[in-house]
Amino acid sequence: MPQFTIDGRVMTVPDGATVLDAAQLAEIEIPTLCHLPGRPPETSCFVCLVRVEGIGRFLPACATRVTEGMVVHNASDEVRDARRTAIELLLSDHLGDCVAPCQGVCPAHMDIPKMMELTAKGQFRDAHIVVKQAIPLPAILGRVCPELCEKGCRRAAHDGSLSICMTKRFLADHDLETGDPYLPPMDPASGRSVAVVGAGPAGLSAAYYLRTLGHACVVYDDREAPGGMLRYGTSRDVLPLKVLDDEIALIERMGAVFRSGFRIGEQASVEELQQDCDTVILASGDAKSGGHGYEGVDRGPQGIKVDRRTLMTSRPGVFAAGGALLPLKHAIRALADGRIAAYSASEYMTGVHPGETDPGFSVHVGKLDADTVRPYLRFGSSDSRQTPEGGCSAGFTIAEVQREASRCLQCGCPVASTCSLRAASQEYGAQPLHFSGARREFGYDDSHPDIIFDSGKCTACGICVRIAAEGREELGVGFTGRGFDVRTSVPFSSAMVEGLRDVALACADACPTGALVRKTDL
Amino acid sequence: MIRQLLERRRAATAPKPGKPPPPDPSEFVLQLIQRTGGAPSALIPILQAIQKEYRYLPEEALKQVCASTEITAADLMGAATFYSQFRLAPVGEHMVSVCHGTACHVKGAEQVDDAIRRRLRLAEGADTDEAKLFTVQEVACVGCCTLAPVVQIDGLTYGYMSTDTVGEALDDFLMLQRRGGTAPTSVDHGVAPVGEVRLALDSCCIAGGTMRVKEAVEKAIADLRASAIVRGISCSGLCHQIPLVEVAVPGKETVTYVRFDPKDAEALVRRHFKPGRITDRLRMAATGLVDRALTDETWQPVTRYAMDTRDPVLCGYMGPQKRIAMEHAGEHPPLDIDAYIARGGFKALDRCLTDLSPDEVIAEVRDSGLRGRGGAGFPTGIKWEKVRAASGSPKYIICNGDEGDPGAFMDRMLLESFPFRVLEGLAIAAYAVGANDAVMYVRAEYPYAVDRIRKAIALCEERGFLGSGMMQGRFALKVSVMEGAGAFVCGEETALIASIEGRRGVPTLRPPYPSESGLWGKPTSINNVETYALAPWIINQGAKAFAAIGTEKSKGTKVFALAGKVRHGGLIEVPMGVTIRDIVERIGGGTPEGTTFKAVQIGGPSGGCLPASLADTPIDYDALASVGAIMGSGGLVVLDDRTCMVDVARFFLSFTQAESCGKCTFCRLGTKRMLEILNRICEGQGRSGDLQKLEVLSGQVKQGSLCGLGQTAPNPVLTGLRYFREEYEAHFEGRCPAGVCKELISYVVTDACVGCTICSQQCPVDAIPMRPFAMHVINDELCTRCDVCRRGCPENAIVIQDRITPRATH
Repeated sequence: MPQFTIDGRVMTVPDGATVLDAAQLAEIEIPTLCHLPGRPPETSCFVCLVRVEGIGRFLPACATRVTEGMVVHNASDEVRDARRTAIELLLSDHLGDCVAPCQGVCPAHMDIPKMMELTAKGQFRDAHIVVKQAIPLPAILGRVCPELCEKGCRRAAHDGSLSICMTKRFLADHDLETGDPYLPPMDPASGRSVAVVGAGPAGLSAAYYLRTLGHACVVYDDREAPGGMLRYGTSRDVLPLKVLDDEIALIERMGAVFRSGFRIGEQASVEELQQDCDTVILASGDAKSGGHGYEGVDRGPQGIKVDRRTLMTSRPGVFAAGGALLPLKHAIRALADGRIAAYSASEYMTGVHPGETDPGFSVHVGKLDADTVRPYLRFGSSDSRQTPEGGCSAGFTIAEVQREASRCLQCGCPVASTCSLRAASQEYGAQPLHFSGARREFGYDDSHPDIIFDSGKCTACGICVRIAAEGREELGVGFTGRGFDVRTSVPFSSAMVEGLRDVALACADACPTGALVRKTDL
Repeated sequence: MIRQLLERRRAATAPKPGKPPPPDPSEFVLQLIQRTGGAPSALIPILQAIQKEYRYLPEEALKQVCASTEITAADLMGAATFYSQFRLAPVGEHMVSVCHGTACHVKGAEQVDDAIRRRLRLAEGADTDEAKLFTVQEVACVGCCTLAPVVQIDGLTYGYMSTDTVGEALDDFLMLQRRGGTAPTSVDHGVAPVGEVRLALDSCCIAGGTMRVKEAVEKAIADLRASAIVRGISCSGLCHQIPLVEVAVPGKETVTYVRFDPKDAEALVRRHFKPGRITDRLRMAATGLVDRALTDETWQPVTRYAMDTRDPVLCGYMGPQKRIAMEHAGEHPPLDIDAYIARGGFKALDRCLTDLSPDEVIAEVRDSGLRGRGGAGFPTGIKWEKVRAASGSPKYIICNGDEGDPGAFMDRMLLESFPFRVLEGLAIAAYAVGANDAVMYVRAEYPYAVDRIRKAIALCEERGFLGSGMMQGRFALKVSVMEGAGAFVCGEETALIASIEGRRGVPTLRPPYPSESGLWGKPTSINNVETYALAPWIINQGAKAFAAIGTEKSKGTKVFALAGKVRHGGLIEVPMGVTIRDIVERIGGGTPEGTTFKAVQIGGPSGGCLPASLADTPIDYDALASVGAIMGSGGLVVLDDRTCMVDVARFFLSFTQAESCGKCTFCRLGTKRMLEILNRICEGQGRSGDLQKLEVLSGQVKQGSLCGLGQTAPNPVLTGLRYFREEYEAHFEGRCPAGVCKELISYVVTDACVGCTICSQQCPVDAIPMRPFAMHVINDELCTRCDVCRRGCPENAIVIQDRITPRATH
C-alpha cells in the first residue's frame, strides 16, 4: 500500500495501482485516449502524461505504477502544455470536422445538419424547433440572411451548397401557416427582471431567450414599433410587414413587454434603468461615444466595450449586444449576440449557467476541392441544388424542401458528443491548427453491416488492434507501415467486413474517436 | 552505354533464357516452413527467405504463410510493412541503393541520387526505369562512410561517387554483369609457402576497390607462378588509405602499400616474389616487362605509395590511439581461429571458467568501470549483476549489432574483423549472467558481418569454444544469428526483443527492464558489440588496467567511425578523455585544404553538433552530455564551413522521423512537424514564431517519448539552435551562409570563365547556353543546383552565391 503525492495531495493506494488508477480513486481528472480499462496499457497517445519528480521525462499515467514516496504533478503548466501539444499533434492528422462547417460558420451556430435531417424526413415541426434554438426570428432571417453558412457548405465544392437559408425560411413560414405556431418552453418565473434597450434584432433575440429562462423583460425603443432596422431599414419587397409583425408578435406572446419612445439619457440613464431591474442589456444600434446616460459604461468610437465572452460592459450587471458594440451588417450576428447577452445576464442574476451558445470545439479539415470532397459524398442524394419553382419570393414547396434537405452530406462527426479526443481538446483549449502540415488521406469503409471505418479519424491508438487479436479474428485489423505512415487497416487490403467478424461492435464502442462508429450512431 | 542497354531492353520482351522460373509461391512457402517451423518468432526469417527468392513478397506467399503457421495476418502484414528491407511490389532486375548516411549526405548524396534518377530517366515519383532494369532506393547508412558518397548496385559498392561519375558506375556494373560478375569470394586462409600478400576484405575495403586489387594480384601470382598467396586480413582502420596491400615475406620486413592501383599488381609480385622459372622471365623479357621491373624508374609508381610509418600523417593517425577492441588489427585473417588463439584468444574465457566464479567475473567488469558502448553508457557490470540476480529461467543474452546510426560503422568492422573476440566476450557475459542461449542480432545491411559471424560461430563450435560441450564441458552456450530487417528503432533493446520475437519493432515502457523481463519474458542481458569486444581484454589484463585508461567516470577506450569533411577518415580507437580536437586534427589531419573546421556531429541522430569552439571537450560520457551531445555508439562526422547546420539538423531529423516506429504521439507526429518546420526554414519560407515553436516542440518530444529514439531525436536541432542560432536566423532572411540550401543559393559564372563550353555541355537541364570563347551565363530559373558545372569547370569559374532571383513562394 504505497503512499504518494499527487498535486499536493497525499494518498495511499493499493499495491500495483497505476497513477491513473490512483487519480481515479481521488477523482482527479486525467484525460486518456488509448487506455481501455481492464486491459494492459498501450502507452501510445501520451495524453495522460504526468511529471514524476526525479524523472527527466514525462510518464504515461496509465502505465506508471505508484511507488512509495512518489511525487506526481498532474496539473502543472508544464504538464498541461505538453498534454495540449499531444492533443494538437493528434488533431493535426485528424481528418474530420467535429462540427459541420456550416454550423461553425453560422454566427448563431444553428444545428443545420440536424435541421436538414429532420426536414428530409418531413418532420418539419421538429426541424423548426432545431432552428428556433439558435435563431428566434427564422421567417425574418430566411429573407434577410446573408447565407454565410452556405459558403461553409462542403457540397459547394461538388455541385453547389445546400439551400440552407431557404430551407429555414420554409420551416418558419410553414410553422406560422399552421395557425398554431411554435412557442418554446419557458422556465417558471424567476422573479428577476431585465431592461433591454433597443428592439432591433439583438434586443428581440435577447428578449426571446430571457423569456425562455423565466425572466421578466421590458424592451425599450425610441421608435414607435419594435423591429429596429428590420422595420425601418429593410425593403418591404424583401421582408413583408406581415412576416415581421407575426414573428415579433410571438415574442410578445411569450411575455416580453415593448415600450416605445425611449432613449437613453433622455427618459432614463443606464444607472436609473438598473435601479428598476436586475440587469440591463444595451442593444440599441447607435451607442458610440457621445450622448448622455451611459455613466460607468466604457465606450469607444465604434460602440460599447465589452468582455468578448460574456458581453458584459465595464458596468457590472450591464450587458451590450449587436449594433451597440460595433456597426453590424448582418442581422444574424445581432441575433447571436442577443442570445449570448441574455444567457450572460441570466447567469449574472441567478448564478446558473443556462447552456452553451456555440457548438464547442471542432477540428477544421479546411477547404476541399471537387476531388478531395469526394469521400464526403457518401451521404446525401445525387440531386442538384433545388430552386423554388414559384420563384424565390414563393419559397420551397414541401417536395422541393425535402429534396433539397436530403442533399445534406451530414459532414459533422456522428460521435462528436462522445469523442474522447474532442473532450480533451475542449478541456485543454487545444488549437486545431497549431500544428498544420502533411496529413493522412481520407478513407471510408462502410462494407460492414454494423460499423463504418472512417480511417481519416484514426489516432493509431491500438485499441481495436488489441481487441481484434484477443477476439482471435482471422484477418482482424493491424498496424501497417511505421512512423508518420502508421495506419490501422485490415490485412491484405481487405474490407472491414472481412476483418472484423465477431468484435466489430466492441471495437466501435471502444474507439476513442469517430474512426470506428456503429452504423446506428449515424 | 546505359541508354543503349535500356533501349535494347525495351525491345526485348521475352524472358531471359536459361534462368529457371521462380517456384510457385505456395509450394515454396510450404517447403520453407518445414525448415523454419511456424512459430511467431520465425516470421522475420520467413519473410527474408521469401524475399530472397522472389526479390519481393508476393501476396500469394504471404497468405500461404498465414494459412500454414501460427502467424496471424495482422502480425504478418504489420512486420512486412514495418521493416524497410521488405518490399511488397516487384522491383527491377538490379537494386541501386543510394546511401543517405551522414557522411554521404554532407558529401552530396542527394545530388548523386538526382543524377542517377536523371540518368535512368525516372519519372517523378517512379523508382524503376521503364525497362525494369534498375530500381533506385534510398537506404540508411551502409557503413562505408570513409568512401562517401556511396552507391550500392546489388552487392557491389561504389565509393566516392559524384554527379559526373554516376554513369561510369552504372556502365561498369553492367559490364561486370555481362562478364559474369565478380561476386566477392571467400578468402583462402592457408599458410604462405614463401610469402603472402595481405588485403583487408571488409565491406568498405571491398567497396574501395580491394577486390579488384585482389584479382589483379592473384592473376599476377598465377601468371608469374610466384610462390605467394593472397590472404584476407582484418581491418586496419586506415580507411583513408585503401586499397591497402601488405606484403609479408618470412625473414623480411613487412612492406605496406597504400592506395594501391591494380595496374601495379604485376610489378608488386615481381618485386617481392621471384618468378617461378627462367623461361617465364625470358618470356616476360620479350615483352619488356622485366626491364620495367628491374629499373628503379619503373618502380616509382609502386614505391610512391609505400606507407612509411614514420610519415608524420600516419604517426598522427596512430599516435593518440589505443587499441583494445581492435587489438591486433590488420595482423591476421578474421576467420583464422588459430591466429586468434596464438594471440591469446579464448584465454580470458578459459580463465573465467577455471579461476573465476560468475560473481567474480561480474566484479571484475564492474570494477573496470566499463559502461555500455551502445550509446547510453549504463554500467555493464551492474547490468550483468541484475540479470544474474533476477529470478526466472532460462536467461538469455543478446548481442546488439543493429548498428543503425548513419555515420557509424564500428560494430560492422568489429564483427567483420574480430568476430572471435566478440564471441569470446559474449561467452564471458553468458557465463557471468548464467545464460546458455545467446542471440547475435545483426543488421541485414551488413552481409559480410552476418556471414563472418555465422562462420565464426561454426568454427568455434567445431573447436569447442562454443556449443553444448564447450571448453571441455565446463560451460554450454548456443549462439544463434538473427538478421535485422531494416529498422533503426530495433537498436532500442525492447524493440530489438520484439523483433526477435517476430513482431513489429515497437518499444515498450521500461520498467520492466529486460534484465527482469526480456526475451520471451525472461531475464535478458543486451549489450552492444563493442562492449563484448572489450570484455576479454578486461579479464586478461584486469579491471585495474582498464580503469587506468580514461577519465574518472568513463573508462577504457572507445571506437569511433571518423568520417565527413576530414582528411584521414577511418575506424579509430581512442582512450576516453582525449579531446575532440585531438581526434579531428591529430588523427584526422583536419578538414580538407581550403576549408575550416566548423563542428563535429557526435552520436549520430541522437547526438548533437558541437562547434569547433568546444573542440576541447573530452571524450567522456558526462562531459559530452553536459554540452548537449551524447557519446552515442561512435559516429563522429566532421563538418566544415561548407556544411549548413540547419541542413544537417534537417538531415538527422528526416532520418529519425522516417525511422520512428509510430507508436508515441510526440515521436510519430512531433518529429514530422519539426521536420516540416526545418524544411520551411531551409527553403527560406520560415514563419515568424517557427523557431520558438521548434524549440518548444523539441523539448516536449524529448520528454514525451517512450524510447531513446524519440527522447534524443531533437538533440541535433537543439544543439543547432544552441550553438548556431545565427545560421538559423540567416535562413529567415533568405540566406544560407554555407551555400548549401538549394532554394537560397545561385550558381554564378565569374569572369574567370574562358568560354570552354564544358559547363554548357554537361548541364543536365540546359540552363547554360553555349557561348564558345565568351563568358557563360547560368539561367537561374532553370538551374537545379546539381553542382555538375562547378565540379566540371577547369577554371574554377563557377561559384555559389546568395540567390539572385526571387524564390517561388508556396
